[in-house]
Amino acid sequence: MSRHVGSYPLPPYLKTKLLAGGFSTVEDLEDLKPVELSKELKISPEEALEILRVVQGVQNDASSPSSSDEAVKTALDLLQEERHQGCIITFCSALDELLGGGVPLTKITEFCGAPGVGKTQMGMQLAIDVQIPCVFGGLGGEAVYVDTEGSFMVHRLEDMAKAAVEHCRHIATVENNREQLEAMSDFTVEHILSRIHFYRVHDWVELVALINILPEFLQQHPKIRLVVMDSIAFPFRHDFEDLSLRTRLLNGLAQNCIRLADSHKAAVVLVNQMTTKMGHSGDGQAHLVPALGESWGHASTIRVLLFWEAGYRYARLYKSPTREEATVPYQVTMAGIRDVCIPNSTQDVTSDMSQEEGTSHGDHSQRKRPRVS
Amino acid sequence: MGDVQDLVLHPRILTAARKAKLHRYEEVLRFSPADLERLTHLSARDVGHLVREVSEAVRHRIHAATALQLLLGDCPAELKVKFLSLGCPVLDEFLRGGVPCQGLVEISGESSAGKTQFGLQLCLTVQLPEKWGGLNAGAVYICTEDAFPSKRLAQMAQQFPTRALAPAEVTKKIRFSDQIFVEHTADKDQLSKCIQSRLPLLLERGVVKLIVIDSITALFRGEYESRETARRAKDLQSLGTQLRKVSQKYNVPVVCINQVSAVVGKRRGNGNISSSQKVIPALGLVWSSLVTTRLMVSRTEHVVQCADGSPAVVRSLEVMFSPYLPNTPSYYIVDAQGVKGLR
Repeated sequence: MSRHVGSYPLPPYLKTKLLAGGFSTVEDLEDLKPVELSKELKISPEEALEILRVVQGVQNDASSPSSSDEAVKTALDLLQEERHQGCIITFCSALDELLGGGVPLTKITEFCGAPGVGKTQMGMQLAIDVQIPCVFGGLGGEAVYVDTEGSFMVHRLEDMAKAAVEHCRHIATVENNREQLEAMSDFTVEHILSRIHFYRVHDWVELVALINILPEFLQQHPKIRLVVMDSIAFPFRHDFEDLSLRTRLLNGLAQNCIRLADSHKAAVVLVNQMTTKMGHSGDGQAHLVPALGESWGHASTIRVLLFWEAGYRYARLYKSPTREEATVPYQVTMAGIRDVCIPNSTQDVTSDMSQEEGTSHGDHSQRKRPRVS
Repeated sequence: MGDVQDLVLHPRILTAARKAKLHRYEEVLRFSPADLERLTHLSARDVGHLVREVSEAVRHRIHAATALQLLLGDCPAELKVKFLSLGCPVLDEFLRGGVPCQGLVEISGESSAGKTQFGLQLCLTVQLPEKWGGLNAGAVYICTEDAFPSKRLAQMAQQFPTRALAPAEVTKKIRFSDQIFVEHTADKDQLSKCIQSRLPLLLERGVVKLIVIDSITALFRGEYESRETARRAKDLQSLGTQLRKVSQKYNVPVVCINQVSAVVGKRRGNGNISSSQKVIPALGLVWSSLVTTRLMVSRTEHVVQCADGSPAVVRSLEVMFSPYLPNTPSYYIVDAQGVKGLR
């Protein structure tokens, strides 16, 4: 099969030269030496070498059967893969059910909310929960935490880690499961904290550079299952004049995040701020929407809005490819993110969701997952 | 910002980068790989090399550690979070060590709730040696509303040693009133000039390790008309970012005092709502997003007897939000010595 040179990852001006020189398919380039090509096209020998390397290299890749097998997956394969991937629980069962078991791996989940509603707490909680040992139904993973706001407080993280360890120990003791009790000897606060890799970035340049480097870091630490960015909005919202540059950078960032999530089977959790938007209808009504604009709305697969109402915290699933829109209450205690009991209609929503959960995903080992009752 | 030409890359790539006028790291990182290919006429592989090397070079500036290293203090100094004592063991316990030297701390409240008292007291405790909860340096107090309450400061400074926060031989050596730099600014341009040019002079030498702005509200309440909200938001954002940069660069706490606004709209009309719900901190969402820890002070109707027998109004200090504190209230009084927590 002859492939058109236009389809190769070559600089556009080289492609034009190739076509102008009469080289349109791979066959035209076969058995050609770099020097000959450079003379023919009046380009430097390095450029000619580059062209041949790219064309022949790609050809070799494509001809090997293993890579083409990997590249093509059926929907069934994907479904089965996704079933086995699991989720990171939040320690708030209502919220987990809202998300279909927790924050899913290989996807981008965005938490948006006004200041003080618990976005940073959510990030910290997830960084701990991703480490729950496998015998408890957890993932036994590690986490990367990127702090752009300077709101990461390690003492707070310690509180939450203590509570999580305590909770797992409680489950192990009650169920008197030897395996779980053994796992507990490793699952300590020090263990949890040493597996959260913290980065403090100060501006968008550092953030973009870090995202470029992260794939390598994740390769060196294959147990990382979660990347938290708290917040994505901060470096791009404040003192950022050039809006078209912002859109471009955010698009690039989103692409890198998707690649990161997909190739390393990690969940990417982005924290976003809110902004005020005036109503279109001209009534002057202002309402809160996630920051960073319309186009950013496409970046995340799952979007959860966190908000206050009548003194309680609520989470609303705003965008999700698989779950329906719903609202559940949660609270932030000293121990972290937890369930809340409010005797009103929102409770009904929650119980409906849980029934549905039971019938559709009954095969999961959710029973074993640590739950806060 | 680093120079691309200093990187160890193939001369071909460096030449191409120079021709495309990509000199600084951020100029490379602002383009997507496809854009870079077009600009530099390099192949995808070369562009990949360039982006990787630039990112790697920038990464050396990023401070990183595991959470355990942070907890044990085994990390770059920039990542260690110090706390500045409030000068009262009860309130320090409530705030888990005091005011963090990272980010913006806002103290908001109605007039006469005791906001300025907190600001003044912090200016005194910051001068104590680190061992006793201070930062061993002076403070800058920026006034935007009133004249600086120098009489009150003199009173508090004089009484400060009697509070026994540090041994007498330590406090005897410190001349408390001498290390507080007072600045009066009337508008936000002046303030921003002060932050950008005058503060660094003091901060650079380590003479000053606390900045108090009393209040941030005055600059933004009067100056704008109601249809200028977008401009106000932009100015607030730029000021907040400047303050955060100062805080982060010099590892010093920045305390902003804010007024409150009455809540109008949905929540009005219930008649008797408690004081904490009736008002919210001023300046809106843009400013809130820049604040790291928000505290609210207010007066209650209770009165207690001070140590010297005079009555004092009980005031409440409430955490509105903070990444490390629960939303609970605490109570305090203000007397001749300053702010004191109640158990």
